[in-house]
Amino acid sequence: MPSFRDTLRRWFRRPVPPAAAQDVEALRLAFQARYHQFKLLLGANNKALEIMSEIQEALGGQAPFGMTFVRSRCTRLLATVFAIVRYLDELAPGAYSGLFDSFRQIEAEINRHVSASEPSWQGPLVLPLADVRPEHADLVGAKMANLADLAGRLGAPLPEGFVVTAAGFACFMAYSDLQTEINRRLQATDVRRLDHLYALSADLQQLIIRAEVPGELQAAVAAALDRLPAEGGRAPRLAVRSSALGEDAAGTSFAGQYRSQLNVAPEHLMQAYKEVVASKYGVAAMRYRLARGLRDEDVAMCVGCMPMIDAVAGGVIYTRNPLAPDRDEILIHSAWGLPKSVVDGGVTADLFVARRNPAPGLVAQQIGHKEIRFACHPDEGLSRLETDPADRGRPSLTLPQVNHLARLAAAAEADQGGPRDLEWALDHQGRIHLLQCRPLQLHPPAVDPSADLLPVTAPLLLRGGRTASPGAGAGPVFVLRRDADALAFPAGAVLVAAQALPRWASLLDRAAAVVTEQGSIAGHLASVAREFGVPALMGVEGAVAALTEAGTVTVDATATAVYGGRVASLLAAKPRAANPMAGSPVYETLRQASEYIVPLNLLDPDSPSFRPRNCRTLHDITRFCHEKAVHEMFSFGKHHHFPERSSKQLFTDIPMQWWVLDLDDGLARQSPGPYAQLEDVVSIPMLALWEGITAFPWEGPPPVDGRGLMSVMFQATANRALEPTVRSSMANRNYFMISRHYCSLQSRLGFHFCSVEALVGDRPGENYATFRFKGGAADADRRVQRVVFVGEILEDHGFSVSIREDALAARIEHEKPEEMRKALKILGYLIIHTRQLDMVMTCCDTVARYRHKIQDQIRQLVGEAPPPAA
Amino acid sequence: MEVAESTAGGKKNPLDDCKILVVDDEADFLDTLIKRLRRRRVDVRSAASAQEALAVLESDPVDVVVLDVRMPQMDGIRLLEIIKQRHAPIEVIMLTGHASLEAAVKGMDLGAFDYLMKPVDLDELIYKMQDAYRKRLLQKGRMRHIASSREGT
Repeated sequence: MPSFRDTLRRWFRRPVPPAAAQDVEALRLAFQARYHQFKLLLGANNKALEIMSEIQEALGGQAPFGMTFVRSRCTRLLATVFAIVRYLDELAPGAYSGLFDSFRQIEAEINRHVSASEPSWQGPLVLPLADVRPEHADLVGAKMANLADLAGRLGAPLPEGFVVTAAGFACFMAYSDLQTEINRRLQATDVRRLDHLYALSADLQQLIIRAEVPGELQAAVAAALDRLPAEGGRAPRLAVRSSALGEDAAGTSFAGQYRSQLNVAPEHLMQAYKEVVASKYGVAAMRYRLARGLRDEDVAMCVGCMPMIDAVAGGVIYTRNPLAPDRDEILIHSAWGLPKSVVDGGVTADLFVARRNPAPGLVAQQIGHKEIRFACHPDEGLSRLETDPADRGRPSLTLPQVNHLARLAAAAEADQGGPRDLEWALDHQGRIHLLQCRPLQLHPPAVDPSADLLPVTAPLLLRGGRTASPGAGAGPVFVLRRDADALAFPAGAVLVAAQALPRWASLLDRAAAVVTEQGSIAGHLASVAREFGVPALMGVEGAVAALTEAGTVTVDATATAVYGGRVASLLAAKPRAANPMAGSPVYETLRQASEYIVPLNLLDPDSPSFRPRNCRTLHDITRFCHEKAVHEMFSFGKHHHFPERSSKQLFTDIPMQWWVLDLDDGLARQSPGPYAQLEDVVSIPMLALWEGITAFPWEGPPPVDGRGLMSVMFQATANRALEPTVRSSMANRNYFMISRHYCSLQSRLGFHFCSVEALVGDRPGENYATFRFKGGAADADRRVQRVVFVGEILEDHGFSVSIREDALAARIEHEKPEEMRKALKILGYLIIHTRQLDMVMTCCDTVARYRHKIQDQIRQLVGEAPPPAA
Repeated sequence: MEVAESTAGGKKNPLDDCKILVVDDEADFLDTLIKRLRRRRVDVRSAASAQEALAVLESDPVDVVVLDVRMPQMDGIRLLEIIKQRHAPIEVIMLTGHASLEAAVKGMDLGAFDYLMKPVDLDELIYKMQDAYRKRLLQKGRMRHIASSREGT
């Protein structure tokens, strides 16, 4: 295939025979159609580059993204790149047909990563807990699988009941196309905006709660319900708990993101089931999945249904201290009534610290002030009751009960091979029941708390509470009182609330620190705070009143203190949170797909390997198509003997040859002669470039020192292409390809080659200018220094710049026409005035002088005021 | 606030004389889109199903069709195929509420002008319509010229 330069060479050597007059109208129409295709190709090319940079930004940045982002970007990109291939095929039918094959191969690879991995769940719709084995984790969720397995082996009463499995969930979601509708709504919402997320969450949950449960699933649940033993002459009330797949994936706790329905009457079980399923789309759960890169489609909501235990006391055991895992400590959190008040952070629970060795037993205790408790309502649901004043400060467990729980905890950890988080309940008969069992995430502080720190001189606002998540954070105080307050929560604020409610977890990825009056290390909010590395202090009495008007504060959660203002010495010690997306399923999907999208392998259009079959990524295809489209537009007028659309020499007094090819409406008048007049040019981008080119006369080559001159002489001898006396198709000729809103300039000035392409129209979203610059006569070092020099100037004026060896590529886009014109004037100016600057690039003083002069002239050119004197 | 595009000052609206058909089974989306397009002085008609769309096309030829990929009974891809068989010069813009790599490429392969995803920016949709219509006009112009050249010979 001839290279672009070869084509130009042939074009300018061959004389143009006169066109047959009767064909001119047909050619004009054909040319217009081609130019429209070309414009569409440029637009699609721009769109493709934009999507690619979004993908790169997502992979390199800290902002979370979900599978909707991955799928929508890959889909848009594939459709756009396919359109580019088709536009090129219409410009040159069949000439690059190999591109379609390359595209298909790349598409298949991207598809393999993005589409083909949706899970399918097979098995019974309902499974009795007694039949659940550890290998059923993918069918019933890890939580239920662990629970059934563990209770049996530790001698705790084996929970009765059953699980509506992942297959049951799939059956429900497939019925009446519920999942399709959910996916559609997910795609239509920017889930990174909290207000949109709240609305979407409410919508999706309503959609699920109102959806019909398929008959086969209802029948399976009814049959399982019938097998449960009656209690006191009536069917048992049920605890309906989430046990989602992916809930306990490595490194994620998912603590409390889903709903449980407690003390549910059997006749309302299906409704409760739907509510637990709907909680998959709770705000906190969706935000959590987004932040951790978990795929929505991987989360099947299995639901455990077990007879309700009306507890005297209940709580949570951590088989290790998550903040100090090396210590021999088992932490038992306990409160009166159901364990809900502990896990929801509604009370400051009793904390019993037990040891493992030599035998499990109590070593220390902090008794909380337990004002409230939850109990089963006689009919259905829970009652929130005031605790009898005499009981509030009384331990909720006896010593033998503590020791029993400690033994259970030590055995659970040994059995499961790692630290565990156990939810338990003590019934009226004094039996202990395990309700949940999941891996415990450990978060040892990165900073040694015993290390000597400088005394803090900032005013101490509060002291007390318990470290729920270590570290220090600072920001303005934001007090949360109602749900609606969450919408206004600013990024970087300190979250202050009376209760440590699980729903505040949706704000943790933007909170600097957390302070609550109630709650403990064992609550859901505390778990998520540790996971996200957000310092959290809980159980701080009077925090809301003391901090409401405090402005900016520093929370030292490790030392349980809150100071006024920002205390830099504490913040410096804050461990840096890792990117929670890295390595996640969503991140990996995009990373793998991006290998067929982003890398650019086809760099040199003149290389023999610049061919369709060597396109290995979508970026290669766009690069190839763009290059060839420009080439095809150039060659049309020539090949079709269409002098009106052949290039004309620009009539100008600038001592260089400038040629113009009018693509559509770039010249006000069409004439068949060999010259174009500058006053006929109406191309907005070309005129702006021209203004920059001609604004200041070029003072000629800079004075060169001996080294510079030797270098140029050596290069000129070694590289015949740089020898001005050698006949070259490109030497000293510069080509504009124009329409009213478009301009492409290929320019060879001196020993460097540069190109500008720009679109400046009424659609700011489509406007862009690109600038490529390469070469020079000096040695490689100086050429590199020159592109760095030019790159810095362009960056100062809003261009994004990339440099590889002595090649520079710069781009500016989406600006209004006036800004685009300024940018093009700057490019025009630089094309002329950086000529031969490579030769002075070793002399700092000269470089500084040129920089100053160039900056000064650019400011005059674009009408900017000089910077204030230092 | 929506502001109707001005055609004052002699500047021609690129969608003048262009007839558009929007096909979508989602009534709320369709109604809103039609209202917003009319406010921008776009000559637009609507169909809530593929069958209705085909009936409209038989009685009232249009220049550009915007259609949803996912519709019950006959989906947008099949409708695109039929439009391209029966009314080849009509340009079709695919619209979808659910990103699907296969549908996107298949639609483009079958000759769709472009593929957009909901929520769609109204300006972006109008630009696409303008580009598609321009392509159609250029084709029409060439066809007319070829026909008149033949008559002249």
